[in-house]
Amino acid sequence: MHPAVYKVGLQYLSGDISGGNARCIAMLQAFQEVVKDYSTPPEKTLNRDMAAKISSCVSFLRECRPLSVSMGNAIRFVKNRIAKLPMTLSESEAKAALKSDIERFINEKIIGADTVIVKHAVTKIRDGDVLLTYGSPTAVEMVLLHAHELGKKFRVLVVDSRPKLQGQLLLRRLIKRGINCAYTHINAISYIMHQVTKVFLGASSVFSNGTVYSRVGTACVAMVATAFRVPVLVCCEAYKFHERVILDYSICSSNELGDPNAISKVHGREDINYFDGLTNNANLKFLNLMYDATPSDYISMIITDYGMVPPTSVPVIVREYQKEHLL
Amino acid sequence: MGAQKKGGGARVSEDAVEQSRQRLQAILLADSFATKFRPVTLERPKVLLPIVNVPMIDYTLAWLESAGIEEVFVFCCAHSMQVIEYLEKSEWYSHPNLLVRTIESHKSISAGDALRYMYEQQTETSQIQGDFVLVSGDTVSNMPLTDLIQEHRERKKKDEKAIMTMVIKQSKSSQLTHQSRLGTDQLFIAVDPLTKQLLHYEEDKIDHPSGSVCLEKSLLDTNPSVLVCNDMQDCYIDICSPEVLSLFEDNFDYQHLRRHFVKGVLVDDIMGYKIFTHEIHSSYAGRIDNFRSYDTVSKDIIQRWTYPYVPDINFSGNRPLKLGRQGIYRASDVVQSRSADVGASTVIGYGTKIGNGDKISNSVIGNGCYIGSNVVIEGSYIWNNVTIEDGCEIRNAIVCDGVKIRAGAVLQPGVVLSFNVVVGRDFVVPAYSKVSLLQQPTTEDSDEELEYADSSSGTADHLSGLNLQMESKASELGPDGAGYIWEACEGAHDEEWKHSVAPIPKDKLSEITQAIDDEDTDDESVVPASGELKSDADSINTDVNDPNDDYYYFEKEVEGTVLRAVEENIKVDLVTLEINGLRLSYNMESADCAGATFYSMIKLAVDTPHNSASELYKNAASIITNWKELLGFYVKKIDEQIEVIMKFEEMCQESPKELGPLFTQILHLLYDKDVLQEDAILRWAEEKAGADEADKVYLKQCDTFIQWLKEASEEEDEDDEDEEEDD
Repeated sequence: MHPAVYKVGLQYLSGDISGGNARCIAMLQAFQEVVKDYSTPPEKTLNRDMAAKISSCVSFLRECRPLSVSMGNAIRFVKNRIAKLPMTLSESEAKAALKSDIERFINEKIIGADTVIVKHAVTKIRDGDVLLTYGSPTAVEMVLLHAHELGKKFRVLVVDSRPKLQGQLLLRRLIKRGINCAYTHINAISYIMHQVTKVFLGASSVFSNGTVYSRVGTACVAMVATAFRVPVLVCCEAYKFHERVILDYSICSSNELGDPNAISKVHGREDINYFDGLTNNANLKFLNLMYDATPSDYISMIITDYGMVPPTSVPVIVREYQKEHLL
Repeated sequence: MGAQKKGGGARVSEDAVEQSRQRLQAILLADSFATKFRPVTLERPKVLLPIVNVPMIDYTLAWLESAGIEEVFVFCCAHSMQVIEYLEKSEWYSHPNLLVRTIESHKSISAGDALRYMYEQQTETSQIQGDFVLVSGDTVSNMPLTDLIQEHRERKKKDEKAIMTMVIKQSKSSQLTHQSRLGTDQLFIAVDPLTKQLLHYEEDKIDHPSGSVCLEKSLLDTNPSVLVCNDMQDCYIDICSPEVLSLFEDNFDYQHLRRHFVKGVLVDDIMGYKIFTHEIHSSYAGRIDNFRSYDTVSKDIIQRWTYPYVPDINFSGNRPLKLGRQGIYRASDVVQSRSADVGASTVIGYGTKIGNGDKISNSVIGNGCYIGSNVVIEGSYIWNNVTIEDGCEIRNAIVCDGVKIRAGAVLQPGVVLSFNVVVGRDFVVPAYSKVSLLQQPTTEDSDEELEYADSSSGTADHLSGLNLQMESKASELGPDGAGYIWEACEGAHDEEWKHSVAPIPKDKLSEITQAIDDEDTDDESVVPASGELKSDADSINTDVNDPNDDYYYFEKEVEGTVLRAVEENIKVDLVTLEINGLRLSYNMESADCAGATFYSMIKLAVDTPHNSASELYKNAASIITNWKELLGFYVKKIDEQIEVIMKFEEMCQESPKELGPLFTQILHLLYDKDVLQEDAILRWAEEKAGADEADKVYLKQCDTFIQWLKEASEEEDEDDEDEEEDD
């Protein structure tokens, strides 16, 4: 196993790297290291052997933490590139080509995509808006900061949920820039939705039937917003789109389960110990889901690097994207 | 010894019994003994000033009551009548759980005096039975006290000397202004991390922006570890043992609780009294010390950090307001126009009318106010019965009871309007001005001044004369206004923005940032005046750099002097005087003088027009002969002579064509004229013998001369020996 991959895997495990984009970029950078230090063993071809090597890396990473859809897409891209390497290239040329391909993917599909999304999304923020966001989506954060830089006057409501409380990080960064914020937990969502003018959400993935797969709680926020007739805008890079169709809204097969202790205990409050002695009870199960799926009915618009589209148009983007990839 | 110990033990157990049935007592100082709230406090004591429409003292009393205090001594000083009247009218006197007693003293001009007065009373009536809580009447808090008092008692039982526990709270002060949220100066404390004993307390202004604090060395000797914090805020809530009162009695010069008492206790080794700290995390505690903390604490109350002491709860007989969305508290009978825009975090009191098109945000408006149309109110505190006419603009101001602001007037940020002031039509009250109907007292005694220096009977006179004043005196607030704009006291003027209700303006912040940046760059280039902590590296650097430069300038100066001396034929004495002066001002050695003088002379010779080497030699010879006394003055020692030779050698190397060939000749000349002694030349030759070949050029040139010198000296030695033998 390459040390870079090992390192990234451990960072996933400990939670040092979290968030779809961050995880994907870290993985791709680790792959770049793998490619750099790769040498073809005798009596083997580069294409086959390297693909096998990447596969073993991926299986290690999967053991550390289940892969996100975006990572799956990125892996598919890398493998595709390896398979498509012309046999005529020498080893060093092939390695250089592969490395630059990965670099291009990071810059265009992830970082570049975010800047395009920001450009699109900012046009939707007007003076006097009250924006609600849930958790700590990086794309939304960039949108808010950019809108603030443009001098737009708006307030932000950061909604958060236990046990991760990622919203606090977002809140801290927004406050630092001088954005007027309010913070609450998802329990109060129906109370505060009243004053909200737009909801901005992030996504881990978007499926071809328009279902948004995102941090657990997102579906709840989107549903309440729809009930209050507040537009729900989802910011998501196109590389996270997937052709799969999800119908099961509660637990899909690929959902990730978190540490059950995280919800059975309250951090920093040792005195709340109502579950003491019950944790091993056969009749009790703790469910700490990481993701949920938001049906497309609750989503007004998806902002991607290909523009702003209604959730029904996701298949078009998936098709276009794959066409471009396979080229 | 044993008997004594036993006796002590018995006493402890008795104490324990006594303490268990002891009432929990508190002393509440209903006077701040400061002038920060002037001019408002000239007419009403600070503790009765409303904060979010409830007098400050109510917050303090309500908290003490809920924290389990059973008896409070309210110490009234300035405007004591008003305080007592208020307490009589309120329900505090008849409260079932809290016994409120007032103590009146007009003589006390500081917290120290107040506690001494308490002590005197104590000897007669023994009201204070044990440990007590000492707070001032402007404290807003919701922290629990019983556990803390228990903790204090336990500690006291173990250690007789632990006389006080001080409450602190984490609060990072601003990087730029070194000011906490509450507008107080940055606080530096040192605490023993294990026992929580307070070791050092420093609130004074830190002059240098980097903030240097001096801790006593002995502190580190006696304590294994010391925790130094600069992110703590003193809540001015103290749990004191009765010893504290007697300490004040013993030290009659203690005035301020912190500046004198705490520092005094910390410094005093003889008594060995100790102060401990208690940090609170989840509860709120803040003292309204200045206008900025008035603003901060108001906001905290509106944001409900002080729960249950919030406007929608009746905690002291106040009429609760209704809480709406976005933190808007509104009385039930508020008349508000449909077109008025009331923004977030606003409190509007009973019987207040709000007109058309008003814009109100982040503000507190009291009871019975009338606000006309198209008024803008931002971040301001409007007290009761205020009339604001159409089109006024009020930003970050405090407006006291009964004020009238006529149409179109503008209050700029930081304005404080005291009671019953009238602002004239379209008048613009400049930023940070303080306006009162009373004239500013002309004499400022000291910062340890009373809220109200005169005896309280004076108030009535003032107030009766008020109407007259209003009519007779043409106002400073426009033709139809009334009131005096107070001048900021000297020195405080620049600091006005620091303690004002208005947020610190952006340009001030950038100014400070700029200043800090400048200072940083200064630090790099200039050795600071004090230079105590500056690393040695810097000073070495300057030592290395400067002398080189200095020597260059010195040489130039000497050259100029010699040139003038030759041209004007000045006496040798005068020239030496001048060169000596230069030597002192450039901090040079006398060897440097020798080198520089000789250099100037040769330079002069070279600069004088000449056709051949022999002519140049003649020039040099004439100058050296004429001025050998000057040179001789500096070349008394061998070292200085060697310096001259080295200098000469250096010069020859610089211009080998002109001077080079003359080296031996001039050296010989110098020897002949008794400027150089043979010892010096021989020593120079010796030193040079080990040098590189390139350096030896001139040594070789004068080889014969040196040989001759050596022989001569040997002969001389022999002569000497002969002479000795003769003796």
